[in-house]
Amino acid sequence: MKISNIQFLKRYHVASWLVLFFAISMISFDASGQGEALFKSKCATCHQPLKNSTGPKLYQVRDKWASGGAKEGSIYTWVNNWQTAAASDPYAAEVSKWSPTAMSAFPDLKKEDIDAIFDWVDTQQEATNNTGGTAEEMTPGSKEGEEGEEEGSLSWIWIVMGVVFLVIILAVGGVRRQLKIVTSDESEGQDRLTYAEEFRAWAWKYRLYVGLATLVLVISTVVTLFQGLYRINVVEDYQPSQPIAFPHDRHAGVNGIDCKYCHNSVTKSKSAGIPSVNVCMNCHKQINGEGKPFAGEIKKIYEAAGWDVSSGAGKYTGKTKPIVWNKVHVLPDHVYFNHSQHVVVGGIDCKQCHGDMTKMNETVKVQPVEELNKIEGNIKLTKPTLTMGWCIECHGAKDVALGNGKNAYYDEIHRRLMNNDKTLYRKYLKDGKVTVSELGGWECAKCHY
Amino acid sequence: MGLTRKYWKGIEELKETPEFIKHKEQEFPSQQTIEQFLADENLAETSTARRDFLKFLGFSVAAATLAACEAPVTKAVPYVVKPENVTPGMPTWYASTYYDGNSYASILVKTREGRPIFIKGNHEYGFTKGGTNPQIVASVLGLYDRERLTGPKANKKDVSWSSVDKEISSAIKSAKKVTLLSNTVISPSMKRAIAEMTTALNGEGGSKFEFVQYDAVSYSAIREANLKNFGAEIIPGYDFSKAKTIVSLDADFLSSWLLPTEFAVQYGQTRNPEGNMSKHFQFESVMTVTGSNADYRGMAKPSELAGILAFLINGLGGNAGIPVAVPASSKLAAEEALKSLKKTGKDSLVVCGSNNVGLQILTNKLNDRLKSYGNTIDLTNTIELFYGNDKKVQKFVKDVVSGKGPDVLLMLGVNPVYTLPNGDDFGKALSKITTVSFASHEDETASLCKYICPDHHALEAWNDYQAKKGQYAIAQPTIRPLHDTASALESLLVWGGKAKRGGKDSAVAYDYIASTFKLNAPTGDFAFTTHNSCMDVTLAPATLIFTDATASNLPKASDLEVSLYQKAGIGTGLHANNPWLQELPDPITKVTWDNYITMNPVTMEKDGYVTTYDQEHGLNTATVTVNGKTVTLPVYPMPGQAIGTIGIALGYGRGANGEKIGKAAYQTKEYGGHDLGENGKPKTIGANVFSFASTVNGNYEYSNSAKIAKAEGVYPIAATQIHHTVMGRHSIVRETTLDIFANRDKEAYNPAHKLEKLNQEGHHEERPVSEFDLWDAHPVEKIGHRWGMTIDLSSCIGCGTCLVACQAENNVPVVGKDEVRRGREMHWLRIDRYFSTEEEAAVGTKKDKDNFSYDKAEHAAENPKVVHMPMLCHHCNHAPCETVCPVAATTHSNEGLNQMAYNRCIGTRYCANNCPYKVRRFNWFNYPSYKKFVEVNPAQDDLGRMVLNPDVTVRTRGVMEKCSLCVQRIQATKLVAKKEARVVADGEFATACSDACPTNAIIVGDWNDIKSNIRKSSEDKRAYQALEEVGVKPNIWYKVKVRNEDNNLLDKLQVAEAKVEHKKSHH
Repeated sequence: MKISNIQFLKRYHVASWLVLFFAISMISFDASGQGEALFKSKCATCHQPLKNSTGPKLYQVRDKWASGGAKEGSIYTWVNNWQTAAASDPYAAEVSKWSPTAMSAFPDLKKEDIDAIFDWVDTQQEATNNTGGTAEEMTPGSKEGEEGEEEGSLSWIWIVMGVVFLVIILAVGGVRRQLKIVTSDESEGQDRLTYAEEFRAWAWKYRLYVGLATLVLVISTVVTLFQGLYRINVVEDYQPSQPIAFPHDRHAGVNGIDCKYCHNSVTKSKSAGIPSVNVCMNCHKQINGEGKPFAGEIKKIYEAAGWDVSSGAGKYTGKTKPIVWNKVHVLPDHVYFNHSQHVVVGGIDCKQCHGDMTKMNETVKVQPVEELNKIEGNIKLTKPTLTMGWCIECHGAKDVALGNGKNAYYDEIHRRLMNNDKTLYRKYLKDGKVTVSELGGWECAKCHY
Repeated sequence: MGLTRKYWKGIEELKETPEFIKHKEQEFPSQQTIEQFLADENLAETSTARRDFLKFLGFSVAAATLAACEAPVTKAVPYVVKPENVTPGMPTWYASTYYDGNSYASILVKTREGRPIFIKGNHEYGFTKGGTNPQIVASVLGLYDRERLTGPKANKKDVSWSSVDKEISSAIKSAKKVTLLSNTVISPSMKRAIAEMTTALNGEGGSKFEFVQYDAVSYSAIREANLKNFGAEIIPGYDFSKAKTIVSLDADFLSSWLLPTEFAVQYGQTRNPEGNMSKHFQFESVMTVTGSNADYRGMAKPSELAGILAFLINGLGGNAGIPVAVPASSKLAAEEALKSLKKTGKDSLVVCGSNNVGLQILTNKLNDRLKSYGNTIDLTNTIELFYGNDKKVQKFVKDVVSGKGPDVLLMLGVNPVYTLPNGDDFGKALSKITTVSFASHEDETASLCKYICPDHHALEAWNDYQAKKGQYAIAQPTIRPLHDTASALESLLVWGGKAKRGGKDSAVAYDYIASTFKLNAPTGDFAFTTHNSCMDVTLAPATLIFTDATASNLPKASDLEVSLYQKAGIGTGLHANNPWLQELPDPITKVTWDNYITMNPVTMEKDGYVTTYDQEHGLNTATVTVNGKTVTLPVYPMPGQAIGTIGIALGYGRGANGEKIGKAAYQTKEYGGHDLGENGKPKTIGANVFSFASTVNGNYEYSNSAKIAKAEGVYPIAATQIHHTVMGRHSIVRETTLDIFANRDKEAYNPAHKLEKLNQEGHHEERPVSEFDLWDAHPVEKIGHRWGMTIDLSSCIGCGTCLVACQAENNVPVVGKDEVRRGREMHWLRIDRYFSTEEEAAVGTKKDKDNFSYDKAEHAAENPKVVHMPMLCHHCNHAPCETVCPVAATTHSNEGLNQMAYNRCIGTRYCANNCPYKVRRFNWFNYPSYKKFVEVNPAQDDLGRMVLNPDVTVRTRGVMEKCSLCVQRIQATKLVAKKEARVVADGEFATACSDACPTNAIIVGDWNDIKSNIRKSSEDKRAYQALEEVGVKPNIWYKVKVRNEDNNLLDKLQVAEAKVEHKKSHH
């Protein structure tokens, strides 16, 4: 099917990306961990180490201040609150004229923290030079690709072997038959059995075994057929290629960005939302991947956003071009699914249905249920993901916390259960929990209207 | 109730006509055996042999399987820059205002991903207090009309705005006379722009520029009468909520007269029998929505209204100055009205719908005698609609027709070629003038214009309105203009040299409106006003003194008078291309997609017209001649139509020359495509009768003397209800009088149904229906939520707004006239209208039980009482539909909903067969794609599809559907509460119908919440369930209709009945 072809082609890409990230994360680990973390969480929105952007570049900024005639320690005051520094230090007052925007205050950063940040920033020059190593390190990736190909060709060997065996069996059978004819005493042309007659005679002789085998064959064919029919349009492992090779593991994993930062309508709406390009630009205005192999991918964001990098810090041209993504999780039109219900009310973590995106490769795919079962805290399900069976299996097993004072809505449901004759509540509690289905989660009009 | 009843499906069955017996036998043709069938030689020659059939079957299965294997790649395109207030998947609501020259309301517009998809009344802000009408709710569909003009046109060719602007500006400059013909302008900004234009063009005392306001249906007589009586050309504000006696003469104030969106809400407040219930008297010729709700209704010809007014004036001690004459058919109502007026005095309100100055003066006189000015009539907070002055209009039209018209004529919001009585002559004269139209379609007038500069749709534009003196309202855009249209305000400013074209995202109109706001309300907050959509204005009380005037030029009597009226859906024909409105059954006749002549069945029988019709049998046609002009239309039997009068609705016959006004405005053929007339142009729906209006003393009057002649041919009628009466079935409709309701206990007017049962001693005993049951209680009926609804028959006025709101909310398909005629309309909610018969004391109540004749009860009375009864899925807890579904596609939820899983449905239709309320609808076709529905179904067009509600599935062919109690709204309401960790508040959940209801007749909510409104309402002593005796335990309750009338017959009957019941239960 289509999907496997795409996947097959992808594997090579995936491998090289994996290696690339490995290389990058190795580099990251070399540098001062705390400084980097602080830089990324506090400064990276506006500053880059080696390039002016919204804020000026920070490479060797302490030396710059010292040589510019700033007062001792005034740079730390500046970081805590630039207005205090500008008031007491003429150099700082000069710096505060930087456009386009004034700096935020960071009163919680201690001197050590600030030094750690600057230390890390100052190491960046070398680090960039080191990235040259990536090309060499691509090689193990290719190996991984070969392995994949081997795996693929394995089945061919089986098929070829099967055909050879079949030919041998037929040949031997033919020879045996010829020999039989030759050795038989009867005259030519008389009572010679055709293949079919011979087979019939053989089958009759071993009718018990043939009968049993046929029965097994028929039953298994029917079962396979039905299983096959049930899997029509079931697309576990579906992973279409995307216009931008977006690495979830880099964003959610390495950089630790919360899923809900980009997919921010997940708590408000039925759809989690594919982030609009302006969300990407919040960070990618600074992070342009210059000199890195994935710079081309980031350029695609700039194209979409109409961000012109050719001039200085960059500016919006107003010529936008929407990104046309390929939808990965597709529900039929007659199914109503609401993300916010599950995330906000049900308290389900994204990874419980989507897998651990911090470790996921290039683009999203529909997670097979076996993989989801490995996620910690997940109810073990058997039906393929994104099928109705999968939904109702979970609804039948997942419990709803009632009457714990945390959600007045469910407290009211609990109160109504308790106020009436309690047989029903007791029936619910037979398995020690009230499940979603017992509160109506299996009813048609909960998802179909 | 030991009464043996005989039931029948139609009059034919009762009379056992030979035709009926013949058909009856053919219902199940069982005489032919299988051997006979197979022996048929023709069978062997049929083209599709068994083998072929199997081949086809196999191929289709294989093809379907293969097709299903393909997993299509779907695309997802997020915003590049997401607008702040848009969350994909969540609705965004905008407070706005609707005005189209005829209807006005403060509205809320629901948008999804930037597309407006639903309009409802704004209950919190604006004097209309949530009141809307079908036309306003349906107007959202007009936004996505394929035939709307996409840009400016000059001489029928697409041109650019810059070239149009240049040509029109220079034409205005070089012209000797420029006229702006507009519908009533209630926009302060537009008024300011026009005033600026006047100063610029006229300078000091010039007369180059003239501004003429013209309303399709004129109300100028009210202004003229008030000028004579008060010295001020005003239309006062009316407060029906304060009126204890309402007397209306030909004024359909609940549906079409003046400001029905406000009046219906006010009227609803006075229809509560527990509180102060008003007494409503109606004198009219055509049975209108308002008349059908009256406590007393008198039939009167338009010429007889003056005599009735004189009777009331003189009866109250005044002097009308004209002779008193009350027709027999109005005698009772007039006498009762006089009694009631005497009693309530200044808490009375008299309104008159005629555009005759004399009648309006008499009405004023009566109101003055009652001292209702300053109480129910507000001379300060006047209505600022309908400023058209007929005398001025007629002078202008005469000038144009005689070639003395202006050089440049700008036409805004008007369609005079269609709406003028002499529209054809006016149209012919337009070729000599440089004409500019702001119309959104190439309609009757615009298609004759040199330039068309299409205005935005109401949902695309900024506007400000002042419909009443005391309120300033804002209309804000809810979508970026779909096409290259421009605000009419901007166009005027540009041509006056006051502004430059702003293009698609123009802020010209916005800036101008904001600056007008600042001028008028220097301290007001424009942003805040925009958010709420309106702001109240404090007014100094008017000091107007009533001075008497003589009523002259009263309507002249003739043998046959024709009344021209507006229908709830079509109105003046502005929305004639809107399929939702065309398919909206008329509140009284229940006819869709058509125009007809209404006539009293008594007259019809005398004159040899058929008075019964069904899907195979149409109605006779007749030719009406007025002013030398004729139209031929079917004659509809309308009980309650005054004898000696006929009625014809305005607003039909749009696009007589095949103008591009929208596909749904024309008749269609059985398999799709427009039905072409002899001239090769599509046939119009109905006929235009604006030309029937008379001119009395310079005013357009919507009645005239007419001649009628029966014409050849029978015309098929598509009505959703072809039977008129309920034939005394007390378990469907219950009605009583205020007197009984106030003074007797529940048993007298709302007795519980009882069935006989063996008690422990082995005796028969009557017990309430609720004690009989085949099934166990549904497990959780008393636990989680249980959604329910009550419908108050006392306050339901039958306006049809709920029906259109339901259609918009639930993606209900439009099916067209031919399908409606076959009884296949898809409306989830219908409003049954029942007339009373002579055999009844009130609708559904037998007068003479022992001699009650069903035969006679079939015939509606000459002037019947009317009940409107909304009917929708009852969500029965013991639903008969659920038990017969072979695939469990319809099941019960633990919240009391009868659920429908479309994907499971295989279309056996057993459920529809088993439904006692007949509310299930079957998708006979794939309405969004089958060729038959190209013209009528908006979902056939990718633009029209934009109006679909994305939260509701579009059903496919072969599945059953029905009211879901807006389950998508239930789910959304619950989710909001869950997310905010709180209980669902009472009143938080509203269905589309309850939201739309102007009179709050529909209450919905969680029945298990014991403090909720719905619980209280359902336990009220007026609450009953329709067909309670069948024991389906519905979640819908009705409330007994209470009429504020003195009906001794009903008194006697209901009290006697209750006594019998009482005795029986003691046996």
